[in-house]
Parts: sequence; C-alpha cells; structure tokens
Amino acid sequence: MDELITQFASEARELVQQASDDLLFLERSPAGRERLESAFRAIHTLKGSVALFDFGPMQEVLHRAEDLLSQARAGKIPVDGELVDPLLAVIAWVDDSIDGIKLTQRLPEAQARQAPRLLRLLSADRTQPQVDTPDSDVVALDPDWAAALRQRAVTSGDGEALVAIRYEPHPECFFSGDDPLATILRLPDIRHLAVFQRETAPSPESYDPFRCNLVIEALSAGPLGAVEAIFRLIPDQVKLAPLGPKSGGAGRAVTGEIAAARQDSTMRVNTARIDRLLEIAGELITAKNGLAPLADDARMSGDGALAKRIAMSHDEIERLVSSLYGAVTQARLIPLEQTFRRFPRLVRDTASKLGKSVDLIIEGETVEADREIVEDLYEPLLHLMRNGIDHGIEAEADRVRQSKPARGRIMLRARQRGDRIEIELSDDGRGMDPQRVRETAIAQGLLSESRAAALSEREILQLAFASGVSTASAVTDVSGRGVGLDAVQRAVQALRGTLDLRSTAGQGTSFVLTLPVSFSMTQLMVVEVNGERYGIPMSDIVEIHKLDASAIQPIRASRAFVLRNRTIPLMHLADLLRIKVPAPEHGEIKVLLMRAAGDLIGIAIDTIAERTQTLTRPLAGLLNGIPGIAGTTLTGDGKVLLVLDMEELLQ
Amino acid sequence: MTVTLEGKAIVLSGTCGVEEAEDLVGLLEGHPGLPVDIGAAGTIHTALWQALMTFKPRLIGTPASSHGADILLTAVRASLERR
Repeated sequence: MDELITQFASEARELVQQASDDLLFLERSPAGRERLESAFRAIHTLKGSVALFDFGPMQEVLHRAEDLLSQARAGKIPVDGELVDPLLAVIAWVDDSIDGIKLTQRLPEAQARQAPRLLRLLSADRTQPQVDTPDSDVVALDPDWAAALRQRAVTSGDGEALVAIRYEPHPECFFSGDDPLATILRLPDIRHLAVFQRETAPSPESYDPFRCNLVIEALSAGPLGAVEAIFRLIPDQVKLAPLGPKSGGAGRAVTGEIAAARQDSTMRVNTARIDRLLEIAGELITAKNGLAPLADDARMSGDGALAKRIAMSHDEIERLVSSLYGAVTQARLIPLEQTFRRFPRLVRDTASKLGKSVDLIIEGETVEADREIVEDLYEPLLHLMRNGIDHGIEAEADRVRQSKPARGRIMLRARQRGDRIEIELSDDGRGMDPQRVRETAIAQGLLSESRAAALSEREILQLAFASGVSTASAVTDVSGRGVGLDAVQRAVQALRGTLDLRSTAGQGTSFVLTLPVSFSMTQLMVVEVNGERYGIPMSDIVEIHKLDASAIQPIRASRAFVLRNRTIPLMHLADLLRIKVPAPEHGEIKVLLMRAAGDLIGIAIDTIAERTQTLTRPLAGLLNGIPGIAGTTLTGDGKVLLVLDMEELLQ
Repeated sequence: MTVTLEGKAIVLSGTCGVEEAEDLVGLLEGHPGLPVDIGAAGTIHTALWQALMTFKPRLIGTPASSHGADILLTAVRASLERR
C-alpha cells in the first residue's frame, strides 16, 4: 500500500506539473491545440490514478475538470481565463493534497473542505451554441502518420470511424515471446495492413534472424477499447490514433495516450543507485592511485620493464576511471527546467494575491546541473522571486506614472559558462537606492562614514546581505527588499556558489547566482590530528615543511618560526578545530604552509596520511552551517572524511 | 522439421515457430534463387516473415489454415515489391 501511494505521489506531481504548464501556456496562447490535448491527457490520467484509491471528492472534482477540458476540445466552450482559472485552482488543490496523502493515505481534511467550492467553480454552465468546426481542422488534428494511413483505408463508406495503429516492435521482442504479426492479426475488422522494415534494415549478409526489425501499420474498424486491449502489455511500442469519420460528425483525433505518455527513452533510477556508482568510481580512483608507488617499487628493485608496464596500466586505468567518473557525473545532471517550471504558477499566484500583474520570462531552462544543485536552487530562487514581486515590482498605477509598461516583468535566465552555470533573476521594478543603503548602514553602525565613502555603489549594495538578520532587515527594508537575503546567500554558498546583486534605482534589481555544474573531484591531503583524520584541499596548501621543535619561537601568547628569512606564525590544527590541546611538541613537526588573507601561515599537524582524489559534497542536514567544514567525502574504506575549509577556519 | 528443402523449393509446413528462423535463414543463404513454398504452412512466426522480407525469395502458395494469412501475405508481398 505504501509503495502504491509513493508511486501515486510521484506520478501525480508530474501530472500536476504537466497540466499546470499546459494551462498556463493556454492562458497566453488559447489556440495551442496540442497543449489542450496534453492538459486533457494529464487530468485524465490523474483521474485514473486517483480511482485506485479512496480520496473522497477528488475523483469527482477531477471528473468535472476533465469534462470541462473535453468540452473545450470539442470546441463547445472557448479556451480563456474562465476555463483556465478554475482548472488551475483544481491543480493547485491536488498539488496541496499530495503531501497529506503521502502521510495519511487519505485526502487531508483541509482539502476535503474545499471540494464543494471547486465543484461549484467547475460546474458553471458555459456551454455556448455549438460552434461549427470546419472539416479541415479535424483532419489537421490527425498525427501525420495516421493521416497518411487514413488515405489507404479500404472502407465501405467514408462516414466510418477507424483506429490507426502504428506498431514498432522492440528489437528484442522475439525473446519475450512476442509474435508481432500474430498480435496484429488479432485486431478486429482490419481494413488495411502494411509491414515494412525500418530504414536501417540489415543486409542479408549481416542478418540476425532473432532481432525484430519491422514496423507495422494497420487500420481497424473495431472499437478503440478492443484495439487498446490487444496492445495493453506493450503500450510503449504502439501508437494509436482514433480517426473520426472523413466528413461530418464530431471528429476526435487523440494520439493514443498510452503511447504519448511513454515516448521518452528515459527510465527512473533511484538516485541512491547513481550515488553508489559515483562512490565506486571515487573508490576506483583511490585504488588506481595505488599503482603509481607500485611502479616505483618495481623500478627500485631494478625491473624497469615491469615498472613501465605498470605505469602503462596505470595510465590506461586512469583514462577509463576518469571517463567512468564523467559518465556517472553526467547521469546525475538534470535540466534546470525541473526547478524553473515550478515558478510560472507561483509568480501568477503571488502577483494576483498582491493585485499586480507580472510576466515571467524563462530562458535557458535546458541548461543542466547536478540534481542536488537544481533541487536546492528552488528555495533561494523562490525567496528572491517573491521579494521581487512583493517589493520590487511597483503597483500598476505607479508604473504607468513612471512611463513603464503596466505589467511588471521578471526574467529568469540561465546559461552555462565553462563548468559553472550562471542564473540571473531580474525584475524591472523600483530597484534599490545605494545612497539610502549607505545611510542606513552608517546609522546602524555597520561601517564608518569614511569607510562607506570609499565603497563603490556596487559594494554598498552587497551590504544588503552582509549582516545578521537584525541589521539586515533594517538595511534592506529601506531598499525595498524583505528580510532574509543573508539566508539566500548562505543557501547559495552551501552549493559552492556566489550571489551578486546589481540594482539601479527606478530601473530594477538583478541577482546573479553562479554555481558549479556538479560537485567535482578535488585533490585532498588527508592529515591526522590527535588520531582524527581530516581532508584539506591540496589547492590550499602552498608547501609542506618539516620543522624541528627547537626552531619554534614563542611570541607572546602565540608561536612562530623562521622560513627563508621570514617569520611565519604557527598554529596547531587541533587548536583551530578546538578538539583537544595537543601535547607539547618535541622532535620533528610537520607543518603545512598556507596562505590566509594574503599572508603565509604554518599549520602544525601530527601526520600526513595520504593524498587522495575524491568527490567532496556539501554538508547537509544537521551538519549544514558548521563553520570551517567545507563538506564530506567517502574514503576508499567507506569511512566519512570531513573536508576542512581552511580559509573559514583561519578567520 | 517444419522448414525443409524439398527438391526445387524451400518448404514451410505446419506451425513454424520462432526457433525455425535460423534454419530458414540458413537455407535462404545456402540456396539463393530457390522459391519458398508456404502453401502447407499453418502459422508462420514474425521472425520467419521478416527473414522472407529480407532475403526476398519468390513466394509460392497461400497458407491455407491460418487466420488472416491472406491479409498478411498481401502486406508482405507489397513490402517485397517496394524493395
């Protein structure tokens, strides 16, 4: 039961999203027949799924919604706001119900109470005198292949309804016991049958007798239900199109929904499996790293030829591992669309609640990034978008007074730049006034007057998310932004991204988020302190130094040492991590030389364990936000290693 | 054996299942130009029809007993003519 509900929830979310996309499109372009069909299919399928459970009035609500859409398809009612509004309300209602359904397996009480209102909205009678649809329209609705088939029909009369069938058996179907031609002969009342080989038909020389290479087209005069029943086990290989009579009557021409819903060559894979693959690829890299010392050993023992062979194997494995790693990383990439597509409805709702009219323009939604990044982007973007509509976009009258278009505009644009993606969210609202931000910042004691004078306008604007909540709210309220920009910035930083703010008073505000495409491989040095192991990115380390304990000079409360005539402060990593006061050093001490705020600093550690190349992932959940920790990685032996953010630790 | 070589023709008889496809292809490859007699065949599996469409031998007869065979044969002949 649980599994069925989970499946329902995930399918329902997709269908809700699809219907919502289609309806919003129809609101702008009422002539989009395909989107009308698609919305109908989504609601119809949703209704079918709901029928498996007892969700009280949801079945009835969806049934009425489907009815409305089917009247629109038949041209009985126009596609306009009056149609789209109640349907969107239904969609939002279903969407809101899904979480509750997942928890309790029933329709939540709050949603159940809204059902009568929705039913009233849906049943307002809008039927108009029947509009005559020209015949040519009906024919144009047939998919191309079906239209071509219709011409071949051997019919007793043109006024007959037919079902066009295009069946492309799976190449391996013989192994599943399929006999496609026998299947097709079970069709009722066959009016036409054509069999041909796919364009890539093999020559007799390379013929594989057990690989199916056929395409079968047929026309049946039987009822659609009977035809569907024949193919019910192989819906993904069959397209069905009911063809209306050639002239007169109500034409219906829907591409068979069983086929339409499954045309993608994609499959659902549990992300845990892909992550496991990614881990294994990471471990392979660690294992591969063991080959290099092996080659050295062979060389040392005088076997040059063996050393060379090991080195060659090492190179080959390295190449393969890195392409494996690349391929698995790719498998985690999904288009930004998955997050972006949630915004149009949101913008519409938020704007209408505030009595504003706002257009949302989305570009670059096909740009791809790691699934985790795409999903985690939703919250910060949502926040920025709500702020933009609430505080950025002016009321209609104000806009007209400023000679701006009455409708506000929000642009959400993404593009790829090398291994990073750049997402720009801009509005054409009132913008921020740097002068006022500057004044408030001084009044709040955030910075001195002389320092404020030295900052550029752009730098001043960044103060909007510089400080803690209490001050940030004061600063940003003046500039017309709500609280929480600092939270947005933290979220973006957690994804290893940056957030930049530009604004021109009176013209609008734009946020630019720059993020990595995926969590890429980093070279780590694994060090030990008090028996605990930590990873430090190699890119942070300038040099490794061995120091005699006697060379350390105490300078007041701290210590330092001299390297190449420079005095370098020395700190122990254990002190930085506040884990335990280290034992007094004696003998040789290992020191990592690092750069902090432009100066060199020495970090003492107990041991250097190994170097490794791994995938560092940002901290999640409870660990999120611990200062000085950049993320975690899995080591070859399956243990979790904390990766340090040295810059933050040294602050 | 439902796929056999008899004199001047390859003969399909009775129920010709998917497992016969390899034999049929072997015969078609070994004896190009020989016609295939399907007059005595009952049902013929898609894999065999497909082999016939690929090697394009001359077809003799109409499978008498099987349902819809005439429609199927018309479709396969049409496909052979299209080349």
